[in-house]
Amino acid sequence: MASKPVLTPKLIIRALLIGAIVIALAVLPAFIDSYTLRIATGALMWAGLACAWNIVGGYAGYISFGHSAFFGIGAYTTAILMQSNIGASFFVTLLPAIILSIAVAVAIGGPTMRLRGAYFAIATWAFAEMLMQLVTVLDFTGGTAGLSLPAYLNEFFFYYIMLIASAASFIGVWLLIERSRFGFRIKALRDDEPAAESLGIRTNLVKVQSFALSAAITALFGSIYAYWTTYIDPYSVMGPEITDQMVVMVLLGGLGTVWGPALGGVLLWITNRYIWSTFGDTVIYLPILGVIIALVVLFLPNGLISLIVGRQRGKELISRILGKL
Amino acid sequence: MDLFLQTLVNGILIGGILICLTIGFQLTFGVLHVIDFAVGGWTMLGGYTAYWLVTLAGIDPFISIFLVFALFLLIGRGLGPLIYHVRTSKYARPDLMALAFTFGIFLFMRGGALWLWSYNSRSVDSVLSGQFLSLGPVTIPLMRLSAFLLAMLFSLGLFILLYRSRFGMAVRALAQNHDHAGLMGVDVKRVSAWVYGIYTALTASAGVLIATIYSVNPSVGVRYTLFAFFVAVLAGLGSVGGVLVAGLALGLLEAYVATYIGARYSLLIVFGTLYLVLLVAPKGVLGRGI
Repeated sequence: MASKPVLTPKLIIRALLIGAIVIALAVLPAFIDSYTLRIATGALMWAGLACAWNIVGGYAGYISFGHSAFFGIGAYTTAILMQSNIGASFFVTLLPAIILSIAVAVAIGGPTMRLRGAYFAIATWAFAEMLMQLVTVLDFTGGTAGLSLPAYLNEFFFYYIMLIASAASFIGVWLLIERSRFGFRIKALRDDEPAAESLGIRTNLVKVQSFALSAAITALFGSIYAYWTTYIDPYSVMGPEITDQMVVMVLLGGLGTVWGPALGGVLLWITNRYIWSTFGDTVIYLPILGVIIALVVLFLPNGLISLIVGRQRGKELISRILGKL
Repeated sequence: MDLFLQTLVNGILIGGILICLTIGFQLTFGVLHVIDFAVGGWTMLGGYTAYWLVTLAGIDPFISIFLVFALFLLIGRGLGPLIYHVRTSKYARPDLMALAFTFGIFLFMRGGALWLWSYNSRSVDSVLSGQFLSLGPVTIPLMRLSAFLLAMLFSLGLFILLYRSRFGMAVRALAQNHDHAGLMGVDVKRVSAWVYGIYTALTASAGVLIATIYSVNPSVGVRYTLFAFFVAVLAGLGSVGGVLVAGLALGLLEAYVATYIGARYSLLIVFGTLYLVLLVAPKGVLGRGI
């Protein structure tokens, strides 16, 4: 393991910067109207979701197209437990939602993560579609009609709960992946799986652990989202658009970086809301997402964060673009 | 028993079209090593093109399918070099980047279609619509039969191209080994681009047939991408021959589930089976190779 980090000036500046961002986010609701507050809440949620997807997609190198399944598991667990016949309070539902998502992630993660690359992508997608179809035909999930939750109309509550969940996700991922042995294992796995295994890393265990962690965070946001919007149906919480956005946000921000998903998530969500307020719907947002993915893959494979961190990479990027012309 | 026979015929007829839908996809994987997420997108765009040709110019889909084929051959040929560029680039994981790239193309097509044409389904009419052929207890819609025959014709054409032409030999050489094929004088980039063009042409043509039998709307893309994955995985990714069996298998599976269990369960069972097949036999049930 690398030696303990020493308090260098660079590290202090970084800590101060992060502290400033956290304080700014904490006092933000006092200065904005409720419409902007809802957008900010959404931005925090999507940053957190991108962070969750990044664990599997960016660090472990397994591109999952099935994360909407876990978002849906969280949302539906909360919604079902909060129906009047059970009447659980919101915070009580979070634990079963997380436990269920971890159980599903472990159950399907073991066999699914034996598949590499495209096979894994197809399998997770098939799983998510299957789960969405299952929710559609079952009775206790409300079928295609969906479920309504008891409304709790306190925007501040949702803003702060998203802020806590999102901050906890990022700090957790930073500690676990950039500052612990687990991080070395998971990156070794991504870079060369047979070599990692030959060095004594139990790759199957690490894969399932990262998948379960990613699923648990995704489900947590699903739970909060369900309570926040007060109405869910199979398509709105399990539809492919959920996964699409998570993938694009991470790709745009920077695969396998800590802060890339935050950047990509916040930027894309604000774009999404801007388009929504300009055009009245978000349909045109989808082709824009598609173009962004294609352009990022062609010109900016390391994401936007590579423009900020390290000038060397920025230079590489410029030469790559100029080389194309 | 009559119902059983009718379902059997329905399953085979749809299976034939699924073969045409997947065969080019398999070829692309075999040659370019790219899983194209946009396969359902090409299907959908093919269907829409046929719809416009019949609505605006009055060209019957069974004739316009050849126009669609030519059009998408050119589109795919134009896009091919980009796919090739991403797949052979020096990124950390070119396979995943290529996956993400086609995913972006697919999102562009699906979102663009939704934006331009909204969720409404459009049906494509043909002179054969509503005509039937009765064979004992079994009734066969003429349109499905013709669609099946056309799909088989296209697939047969691909096999002849692959196994009876110099171009086909180059394609098969590429599928075996890129470097060696290049050393033997095959223009790897050009052949790859044409393979991508042939794939989009075949898939869009299958889309015309599907639109003629059912209808077309922007959300069918996701479904047919997963259907193509299903057939491809069952056949073994990259295996062109295996598609013949796997396509029929999916057609029959869907037909029997719809008849005996209920149409609303058919997608659930299809996706569930796909997931199980991937877990049990990720290399495919039928072996691989072109």
